Amino acid sequence: MTVELRTAAVSADGLCRRYGTIRALDDIDVTLERGITGLLGPNGAGKTTLLSILATVSEPDAGRVSAFGLDPRIAAERVAIRRRLGYLPQELGYHRHFTVAGFLDYMAILKEITDRRRRAGEVARVLAAVGLEARARTRIRALSGGMRQRLGIAQALLGNPELLILDEPTAGLDPEQRLRFRELLSDLPGNPVIVLSTHQADDIAAICPYVVVLLQGRVRFTGTPASLAATAAGRVWVADQRDTRARLSWRGSDNRWRHVGEQPPAGAETVPPTVEDGYLMLSDPAGTW
Amino acid sequence: MMSQLPAAPGPAGGPAGHAEAELLASYAAGTAGTVAAWSVEAHLTACEPCRTALSERVDPERLARNRSVLLVRAALGDGGRTMRLLRRCGIPDHLLRLLAATPSLRKSWLLSVLGVLAVLAAEAAAVSPGWTPARVLAGLPRLQHPQILIPFLLVAPLLVLAGVAAAFLPRLDPAYQLTVAAPFSGFTLLLVRAVSALAAALALVVAAAFILPGPGWLPAALLLPSLAVCGLALAAASVMEARAAAIAAGTLWVLPVLLLAGRHLPLAIVHWRAQSACAAVLCICAFVLLMRRDRFELGWTR
Repeated sequence: MTVELRTAAVSADGLCRRYGTIRALDDIDVTLERGITGLLGPNGAGKTTLLSILATVSEPDAGRVSAFGLDPRIAAERVAIRRRLGYLPQELGYHRHFTVAGFLDYMAILKEITDRRRRAGEVARVLAAVGLEARARTRIRALSGGMRQRLGIAQALLGNPELLILDEPTAGLDPEQRLRFRELLSDLPGNPVIVLSTHQADDIAAICPYVVVLLQGRVRFTGTPASLAATAAGRVWVADQRDTRARLSWRGSDNRWRHVGEQPPAGAETVPPTVEDGYLMLSDPAGTW
Repeated sequence: MMSQLPAAPGPAGGPAGHAEAELLASYAAGTAGTVAAWSVEAHLTACEPCRTALSERVDPERLARNRSVLLVRAALGDGGRTMRLLRRCGIPDHLLRLLAATPSLRKSWLLSVLGVLAVLAAEAAAVSPGWTPARVLAGLPRLQHPQILIPFLLVAPLLVLAGVAAAFLPRLDPAYQLTVAAPFSGFTLLLVRAVSALAAALALVVAAAFILPGPGWLPAALLLPSLAVCGLALAAASVMEARAAAIAAGTLWVLPVLLLAGRHLPLAIVHWRAQSACAAVLCICAFVLLMRRDRFELGWTR
């Protein structure tokens, strides 16, 4: 019998980061394998901070990161990580006077693709991947929000990165574009390490074989989407009337109330939980928006 | 052309003046030699059957890919006359493309600088008694009150400094996070942007100094102080926050200018003693910059 030894491509051990009195990350341990890992959590959970540290953009107060065996604290190894990195920050700034092709060309140079022909080939490839070929000459300021997001995804794909860090990549995309984005990630060559943060539990359920839930700067769950859903097993039920004992209730398309709570009433009609239900059960019981 | 002469052999001696199937296949695959490819291309322009035969052999995906690359290259263009000229001077294309993201090289910025300099020069000319273009052209002495040069001496190097600071201040780079996460050397990027912004602003300052009612050596005398102020800002940025460094360097220029102006010696700031001091500052700053260049490798800093 052979045993497959799987080593983490990217790992973070004991990461801590504070902003003044706010503890954004509190002793985070994460390992990322090749494939897609979804990072789920509410606003302020520390997702963006964690991703920016993994992307070598900011430094933790404590803890250690390793990517492909490289240590970003060492300047040469940090550059080596960046050569294998594609990063889409949550708040992506653009030079608004650039054209779409001009911006990607500029980013390709920053990714050390200095040969003119190779750059044009790369730009054409990523433009086709996000369906912006017809917009190559359009100025960024004239693009819609969804198109800008696709442009952000395109720049992250330049150079076929081995580590792709995407902070809320589906924000601003319409349903069809979100499906195309899933297809795009699934088709990426070379089986890269992909970590994406999102608020969309259905994105996680659809394309992520692995999910990490971050709450208040701490890892609350790691596992498969199915096991996340399973944490709410037996705690989701439907009824014709609203049940005030439930943690959260909403009326479904069949006009019946769907309840998620600690304890369904005796004789309640329980239903199979979703990833969203599992995520709700992990979150703060007293939480509001 | 081959197709107009059916009796003549086609490229590589094909039947009835048409290209051989093997040659078309190698051309479609991009493996035909240069001479053979030219021969095929010359023949194709006038031979419909060979064009049809070729289209059946071409991989449509490869064709679409090539078309996309051509469209991208057309969209990128060659950057205009200035870029062409700089490329001819041997500056690599990719470095020139990086300049497009430098705010102080944009037309609006340069026009603003030009506007400020024009106002200062015009103001100095207007208050200069006895100054007329005719007297300047005749080479007659034109400076009677050096005090009229104070606003220009105060502001001109600051304009150069502002251009350089705008080229490296993170808050003026909307794509700063992407720049940090990219492997391109932060120090190289800083130098490329700062030097180009410096050159553009200095050219405007020197040009404006020529039309001032000041001494003839003034345009040349402004070079070293401007370089020293910018060098100081860059060197200081290796030990403190970039904006604070620019403000500190600007203050270190403004204070002595005002001090000397108060003593009715405004031109002393560009006389040989001041020039020597500026040269010394520039050398020290260049050394500091070189020694601390790692500080400009971006990221993993708070």
